[in-house]
Amino acid sequence: MGEPFIRVENLEFSYDDEENPIPALRNVSVDIASGEYVAVIGRNGSGKSTFAKLLNLILEPTGGHIYINGKDIADENMTDEDVFAIRRDIGMVFQNPDNQLVATIVEDDVAFGPENLGIPSAEIRKRVDEALATVGMSEFAKHEPARLSGGQKQRVAIAGIVAMLPKCIIFDESTAMLDPVGRANVVDMMEKLNREQGITVITITHYMNEAVRADRVIVFNDGEIVADGKPAEVYANSELIQRAGLDLPQCASLVEGLKAYGISVDGDCTTPEKCADAILRAIGGSRGK
Amino acid sequence: MENKIQIENVSFVYSPGTTYRTDALDDVSIGFEKGKITGLIGHTGSGKSTLVQMLNGLLKPASGRVLIDGEDIWEKPKEISKVRFRVGLVMQYPEYQLFEETVRKDIAFGPKNMGMSDEQIAKSTETVAKIVGLDESVLDKSPFDLSGGQKRRAAIAGVMAMEPEVLVLDEPAAGLDPEGRNSIFAAIADYQKQKNATVIIVSHSMEDMARWCDNVVVMSHSKVYMAGTTDEIFERASELVSVGLDIPEITRLMMLLKKRGLDVDLGAYTVDAAIASVKKLFDENKDR
Repeated sequence: MGEPFIRVENLEFSYDDEENPIPALRNVSVDIASGEYVAVIGRNGSGKSTFAKLLNLILEPTGGHIYINGKDIADENMTDEDVFAIRRDIGMVFQNPDNQLVATIVEDDVAFGPENLGIPSAEIRKRVDEALATVGMSEFAKHEPARLSGGQKQRVAIAGIVAMLPKCIIFDESTAMLDPVGRANVVDMMEKLNREQGITVITITHYMNEAVRADRVIVFNDGEIVADGKPAEVYANSELIQRAGLDLPQCASLVEGLKAYGISVDGDCTTPEKCADAILRAIGGSRGK
Repeated sequence: MENKIQIENVSFVYSPGTTYRTDALDDVSIGFEKGKITGLIGHTGSGKSTLVQMLNGLLKPASGRVLIDGEDIWEKPKEISKVRFRVGLVMQYPEYQLFEETVRKDIAFGPKNMGMSDEQIAKSTETVAKIVGLDESVLDKSPFDLSGGQKRRAAIAGVMAMEPEVLVLDEPAAGLDPEGRNSIFAAIADYQKQKNATVIIVSHSMEDMARWCDNVVVMSHSKVYMAGTTDEIFERASELVSVGLDIPEITRLMMLLKKRGLDVDLGAYTVDAAIASVKKLFDENKDR
């Protein structure tokens, strides 16, 4: 394996508050490889959103380095074109579906990004059609965004990014304002873009059942990374999860509660399906003891 | 058991007489028990938001009646604004409606409009600030300098300060982290207790409903699909699934275990109840 797609080294960031700057990130170092599906979790104010905004160059680090494809983004020799290239490679979907659609027709909105990149119109047509098909919104191409549901709006926003052919998409609490159906659709979309198109997905979320679907979970607390691993490993450390102000998935809480009675259920218990398997195995094992 | 609010045969149609005509409520009758927390659940488009707007007279039924303490709220249409002081409605993302210079002034806005005396307002502000967990020091800040969770609590405090007998909240914890969610629900439960208020919460989160509500009303296709105590509703989890609603994750686990031949309690919809039920399985196995 060569250079990671994203390398973060000793990253620091403080928000300006005149006299006393507020530190949001402290000494954060992490690598993210191309094609990974990563969930970033942490309580409000833990630094996770700041981290996302730094990756996309919306914010500038106050210390440390971020390398995208081996390039230091703080390098003074970075041209505007280099910055645009990074913003094109790393797309971002935000929380509020009403704040990111600009056009009055769905397909115009999806075309907005590629148009700004100066792509020939025949190519744009192709990309818009493909992007809308990818997110399952083709039949809404001529609709008004204002008449769509929240989940549909988010899928249009995702299509707008997909049409720019990004290498990575960061979802900054993109499901927080959606109902369960909209949320499930958007999470399915993340998984599909990652699995089928190899796009690196970084999702920032408060929902444990979304985080457990990623390949890797990174936990922020108080501006620092306090855990980084497979969902089952991270959630197995219930003490750390609680200290970080997060909830365990309900099934993991059950397993944790059983421990108090001397009953141990081993294995991945992050989802009801996996937990049911683990309980059946444990009961089978306890038989005849 | 006494109902604070009674909805009788209420129907409502959006854009009647046009091609966009939508039946939002279809002959709905339901009561909301006095002094209890009732959860209102259902799909987007099931009619629950329309129902909520009926409760304080923001919408007028096309037919049917809305009764509070047995009195029809539309009996004297000119006095409908009085109903809005008795039934406090906290909309989704209420923090977008903060606008005053200080948190204190923002909380006082509603009470002032209803004609509370300055003395009363000061007392009420102090009480609700304590309930939602906002420090005295925060009250003199601009609402725009608060964190997201604090803004939400300030906005809810503004409705609580009017001391409504009925408090209705639409997705009060949406978008908050787990700590923020818990502190909001704890504040609502605290208000309920202190004022013996009747509380109605609309939410998509079944885990939260299971944990905080005494009763649950399920809406589907503009009608009440089921209603009962939280125990009664979650015992019928498979019916919730059949109308496309979520169930608590732990209930799904219980259903999976049952399907695979284990004798677990399907009525276990909290983690503690599930622990007890699964523990029993292990105990029985050991004895064999």
